Amino acid sequence: MTALRIILILAALAVLAAVPWFGSDVLIQFGINALLLAVLAQGWNIIGGYTGYASFGNSVFYGLGSYGVAIAMVQWHLPFAVGLAFGVVLAVAFAVLLGIPVLRLRGHYFAIATLALAQVMTAIVSNVELAGQNIGLVLPPLNNDRLFYELSLGLLVLVTLTVFWLTRSRFGFGLIAIRENEEGAEVMGVNTTLYKTLAFALSGVFSALAGGIHAYWVTFIDPESAFDISLNVKMIIMAVFGGPGTVLGPVVGALSLSAISEFLSSEVTSVAGLFFGIVVVAAVVLMPRGLADVFRRFRKTGWRYFAENIRAHRL
Amino acid sequence: MTPALEIKHVTRRFAGLIAVNDVSFLLQPGEILGVIGPNGAGKTTLISLISGTLAPTSGDVLFEGQSLTGMPAYRRARLGIGRTFQIMRPFPGLSVLDNVAVGALFGHGGGHARLAKAREQARAQLDFVGLGKFVDQRADELGGPGRKRLELAKALAMQPKVLLCDEVMAGLNLVEIDEVIAVIRKVRDTGISVLVIEHVIKAIKSLSDRLLVLHHGEKIADGEPDSVLANQTVVEAYLGKRRI
Repeated sequence: MTALRIILILAALAVLAAVPWFGSDVLIQFGINALLLAVLAQGWNIIGGYTGYASFGNSVFYGLGSYGVAIAMVQWHLPFAVGLAFGVVLAVAFAVLLGIPVLRLRGHYFAIATLALAQVMTAIVSNVELAGQNIGLVLPPLNNDRLFYELSLGLLVLVTLTVFWLTRSRFGFGLIAIRENEEGAEVMGVNTTLYKTLAFALSGVFSALAGGIHAYWVTFIDPESAFDISLNVKMIIMAVFGGPGTVLGPVVGALSLSAISEFLSSEVTSVAGLFFGIVVVAAVVLMPRGLADVFRRFRKTGWRYFAENIRAHRL
Repeated sequence: MTPALEIKHVTRRFAGLIAVNDVSFLLQPGEILGVIGPNGAGKTTLISLISGTLAPTSGDVLFEGQSLTGMPAYRRARLGIGRTFQIMRPFPGLSVLDNVAVGALFGHGGGHARLAKAREQARAQLDFVGLGKFVDQRADELGGPGRKRLELAKALAMQPKVLLCDEVMAGLNLVEIDEVIAVIRKVRDTGISVLVIEHVIKAIKSLSDRLLVLHHGEKIADGEPDSVLANQTVVEAYLGKRRI
């Protein structure tokens, strides 16, 4: 069973890796976007899915990663890799400095506080000369979509392996314990402050890397697009659609929702948003615990699974 | 011999209310100390002050001679203080086994533990408290009595030196109470010092080596269970003054 699953995953990975060699330009560009969104959803999964802190601040990490690359390459003429590292340093510093106070809040309060962070960052960066103020920065173009595609795929594999490690490690167990009952975790010896901050930083590292790759790919960033809060909403929807707190759920959720969204906007262009909304609402009503839970339970319960979820909503 | 716990003039105020008022006592190694008192006497607050989820307004708690002042709860847990909660705090989405494994991973014996080893220890603790059959069940599928035992197993998996039990027998029937009493005795026999808060007087009388009574946050009696329960002040605290 597990051997079969590993073979299936490797086969899917091989197909994904081969896409740039047989797919059209449009498909490759769609792929880069979808893979980066999957990285973001999976990164959010670490703090939101495993630790139970619904972060609206992950788009800040994404923006810091973008600006790390942009500043390093445009202002300091450093190579791309150094820019990525710089973005990661910014994200970790941000996670530690702001995570310590903000992670003391729970539930809605944490969500609102992190939501405010993204707005604040837009305002700050708009006034920093090094970051090009509100005009933004234009990066040197690199016309190599295959490279960006494979980089994004590699990053997705890395973040997914990290999440897999969480499910097997002492650290991951500590995070899950915090999610399930923070006070209970604390008296059992979990250093909750440290663990939450580390989870926030780890989540931020991957978001920053995704932001850095995206910035170099699109060759232009400004404060509005780098710290876009709707991106954060997207990663949450994708992670929750797939199944928060599972290893593959957010990846499957991100890739399938990206595909649905792309299909809708090419077929029913003007009302695509409406249809996308219907898909999300239907998902919340029919499978509130995400695709992963459907796969786990559908075989046992069959179609009753959906009926039970509808009943649980008292519709 | 250094006492396992030394409580020195501990006071805790909540705004105008003094929940624990200048309480001092010792818990000797290998002893079972019962703490009783009417509702609102400050029993649970006392346990929270020892385990570190609350900080005392004044006074000091010493563990094996070492002051715990300012030490966060997780470090006290790693030193060897395990507690159960009256309002149970299981990890609802985790299996019963993994609930207990968290204790083995992070408690006094943890730190270098690996997951497989921790699960093995957890299994042993669950057998010990009589939950061996439920290892694969989700914790929120357990009934009340099962959850009480789970609380105990989680605390024991931490391999504590001191175990603080907050009403582990509340809501259990007589048979179950006897079983829990047997478990706590066995725990003591492994060298763990135990502090038990309980409402069921009969149970705690037979279980405790020594009994301490709290009333309105103050210690009103401390000694042999029989003599403490015969004490006039204690009877009045529970039943009120005789008026005739």
